[in-house]
Amino acid sequence: MDVCRHEVLSNGIEWAALNLPDRKTITGELRFLTGFVHEPATQLGINHLVEQTIDKGTTRRTGHELHDAFDALGARWASWSGREATGFQITALPEYFDAALALVAEFLLMPTFPTEAVDVAIQNTLDEITHLDDDPQELTSKLFHRRVYGPVLGRHLYGEADELRGVTSAQVENFWRTHYVPGRMQASFAGPLDANRLAASLEKLFPAQGAITGRERLTFDFQPGYHHQSKELEQEHIAICYPGASLDHPQRFAQRVLIAVLSGGMSCRLFTEVREKQGLVYWVTAYTEHPRGVGMVYLGASSTPQRCPQTYTTLIREIERVREDLQADEVQRAITGLVARMQTRGDITAARCAELADDLFHYGRIIPREEKINQISRVTVNDVQAYLQAHPPTPRQVLTLGPDPITLESS
Amino acid sequence: MVDHPPFHQQQLSNGLTIVIEPMADVSSVALGFLARTGARDEHPGVAGVSHFLEHMCFKGTARRTWQNITIDFDTLGSTYNAYTSKDRTFYYGWVPAEKLEQQLELLADMMRSSLPTEEFDMEKKVVLEEIAMAGDQLDSLAYDFLHEQVYADQSLAWPVLGYEQTIAPLTRDQMNEYLQRRYSADNLILIVAGRVDPLQVTRLAERYCGGWPRAQITAASRNPPLPRPGQSAKVVERFTQQVIAEVFPCPGGRDPWNETAEVLVSILGGENSRCFWNIVQQGIAPRAGAFRMEYEDGGLIILTGQCDPADSAALLTALRLEAQRITREGVTEVEVQRVKNRMRTGLAIEGEAPYYRLSQLMDDVDYRGRPRTVGERLAAVDAVTPQMIADYLREFPITTGGHLISVGPRHWLPD
Repeated sequence: MDVCRHEVLSNGIEWAALNLPDRKTITGELRFLTGFVHEPATQLGINHLVEQTIDKGTTRRTGHELHDAFDALGARWASWSGREATGFQITALPEYFDAALALVAEFLLMPTFPTEAVDVAIQNTLDEITHLDDDPQELTSKLFHRRVYGPVLGRHLYGEADELRGVTSAQVENFWRTHYVPGRMQASFAGPLDANRLAASLEKLFPAQGAITGRERLTFDFQPGYHHQSKELEQEHIAICYPGASLDHPQRFAQRVLIAVLSGGMSCRLFTEVREKQGLVYWVTAYTEHPRGVGMVYLGASSTPQRCPQTYTTLIREIERVREDLQADEVQRAITGLVARMQTRGDITAARCAELADDLFHYGRIIPREEKINQISRVTVNDVQAYLQAHPPTPRQVLTLGPDPITLESS
Repeated sequence: MVDHPPFHQQQLSNGLTIVIEPMADVSSVALGFLARTGARDEHPGVAGVSHFLEHMCFKGTARRTWQNITIDFDTLGSTYNAYTSKDRTFYYGWVPAEKLEQQLELLADMMRSSLPTEEFDMEKKVVLEEIAMAGDQLDSLAYDFLHEQVYADQSLAWPVLGYEQTIAPLTRDQMNEYLQRRYSADNLILIVAGRVDPLQVTRLAERYCGGWPRAQITAASRNPPLPRPGQSAKVVERFTQQVIAEVFPCPGGRDPWNETAEVLVSILGGENSRCFWNIVQQGIAPRAGAFRMEYEDGGLIILTGQCDPADSAALLTALRLEAQRITREGVTEVEVQRVKNRMRTGLAIEGEAPYYRLSQLMDDVDYRGRPRTVGERLAAVDAVTPQMIADYLREFPITTGGHLISVGPRHWLPD
C-alpha cells in the first residue's frame, strides 16, 4: 500500500505527498480554493485574468525572465482556473524540483500584474469569448451551465465582455491579494520525493500565517426546462442534465458504476444504442460534474438536425431503461474498467498527483487507492438500482444548439 | 537519466514486424498494431476508405461480432481506441500487464476484419455524422483546406475522413479490396511497451499473427510529397475568427535534419517562444505559433494563428517578421539550451508510462525505421546547435516559397 502524508502546515497550507521512489519525475499541484464563483458580480472573469497574468512579472523578474528561469530547469508547468479552484501544476526532474517550486512561490507571492500584460490578457480573453462561437461543444457547455447552475455557479471562466473591459490591473492585484492566501491553498506532490524536506520548503517559501478558509459549500436551485439556441451548424448539439449524488454522498460509487455502464467504453449502453445500432451520432457521452457538495449527471451528443429528435428520444429511453433491465454482467464490466483504468493510469506520476489534489479538494483527506478500489468493487446491481431510485433522471434541464428546436413531448 | 533496456525487434516469417520495449518500473502494458496506410494511400474515388475501414475493424471478425469486440475490450478494462491519419492507421489498447495476451489476441483478431455486410451501411451513417461534425470545426476545415491547396493533385490532399460524395457510394467490395491490399502482414507492425517478457510477446505474436498473408505492397509505393507555393483563401461565413497559416516545406521523419527542425519550431512557436512573447503577449492575436507536420518523406513547417478577421494583416505581418528575424539573426545558445532542458523533462515523463512510450515508438519505427531509446532521442536533440539551425534555414527557408492559407468569414489575402 502506498504511504501518503497529509497535514496542515503552520502557515495554513493543507498538503499531501506520495513518495513513489521508482519514478523519474516529481509533479506538484498548488491549488487555491478560489474560482469564478468568488468573483464580484461587476468583475466577472477576473479570476481567469489573475491566472493568466500572475506569471507575467514579479518584483524580481519580468515575465519573460520568469519563463526563462523555468526553462533553465527544464521544469514544465501549467495552470488552470475553474469554478471553485485555480491550480498551478509543475513537473520537473527530482534534482530541479525544489528550485522549480521556489519559482512558483515567487510568482504566487510577488506578482506585479503589469498593466500591459493585464490589458493583453483582457483583449485575448475577449477574443476567446468571441471564439466560443466557433466551437459548438464549448458554446453548448457555456450556455447549458448557465441554465443548470444559475447566475453564480453557472458563470463561465472567461467572464462577460462588458465587465471584462472595465477591469483594471489594480483590481486584478486586489483580487489576488484577497483570494490567493496560504489558508486557501492545498498542495499535492507525487514522485521520488523527501516529504520532510518538502514540508520544510513549503513553510519557508510561504511564511505568512493564515487561517484555513475557502472550504464553504455553495448551493443553487436546480431549475428544469428546455432551451433551444438557434445557430447555423451542420449538426445539432444536445445537452441533458439532472441532479445526481455529490462526491461525499454514500451512493457516489454506485453513481460512478452507473455512468460507466452508460458511457464507460464502446460496449456501454449509449455508444451501443445511439451509435452502433442506429448510426445516429459520432460521439455520445454521459458524465458527472461535482462542484463541492453537488453532483450533476450530464448526457450529450450531436447529430445532423433531421436525426436529432431520434437521438434525443434514444438518450432519454436509455437512461430510463437502465432502471428496468440493468444486468449483473454490465455492472461487473463497468467495475473492471474503472479499476483497471485506475491501475494503468497509476503509471503516470502526474495522474497520481492529480488524484491526491482531488481527494484533498472533495474529501479533505487522502483516500488510499485500495479503499477506492474496494468501494467500487463492492457495488452491486441493487446498489445501482437504489441509486436510480434516489436520483431519477427527471426533472431535467435540456438544451439544444443548432438549426432547429426539438419538441420534447413528441420526440 | 536512467535509460530502458534495449529493444527487442524481429520479424515473423510472414513479414510482420514486432518491436518490444520492456519497462521494469511499471505495472501496465500498452500495445498496438500500426497499419502503414492512410489517406495518402487511397485513390481519389474512395477518399476516406482508410478511416472508414478503421471503424469497420471494430464491427466484426470471423470469431467475433461487434458486440463481442467491444465487450471483450471492456472486460479487459482496456483504454483503447484507434485513429487514422494521412499515412497510418493505429489500433491500440492499454491494460494491466497481466492482460497482455487477451489484449494482443483481440487486437490481432480485429486486423482480420470480416467487414460484416449488415454493419457496413450503419457504420457509414456514423462516418457521415463525423464528417458533418468536422464541418462545424474551424481548425478541422482549415487543416483540410491547407492540404487540399498545398498538395493539390497529390494523394495528401484528400481529407482523412473523405468526402460525403466518396463515402456515401463506397461499397463493401471496394473496402475489402483495400483491406486485403493494405493490411497484409508485411505492412503491419506490432508495437509493445510496458511490463512484458519479450519472449512471451514473440510467442503470442506467432500464435495470433503467424498465419497472416504477406502481400509485398507497402508504403514504399508512395510518391514523395511536393508542396506547392501560392496563396489560397476559403470563406466560411458562419465562423467569427480567421485562421491564417503560412506553410513551408521541411524534411520528413527519416531526414537527419529532423531534430534541428524540431528545435527551430520550438524556439519560434512553442512554449515560451518568440511567437508567444512577440505576437500573443503583444496583443496582436490570441493564438499564434509554429509547428511541424511530418510524414516519412516530407513535411511542412506551419506558422499560424487565429484572430479577429480584421486583424488578419497584422497577424500575417507579425508571423513573417518572426520568420525573417530568426532567418536573419539566427538563434542563441541559450534559446537552444532551453528547448533541450524542456525536452529532457518531457522524455523523462514519457519514459514513465507505457502509453506515452507506445506513441513515440510508433513514430520512430514508422518514420525512422527503428525504435530509439529515450537517451538516444535526447542525444539527438543535444547535438543541435545554433549553427545547425542557421544551416537548416538556408536549406529550407521559411521566408520564401511558402503557401499562404486564409480560412474564415473574410475573404482575405494580402495584395
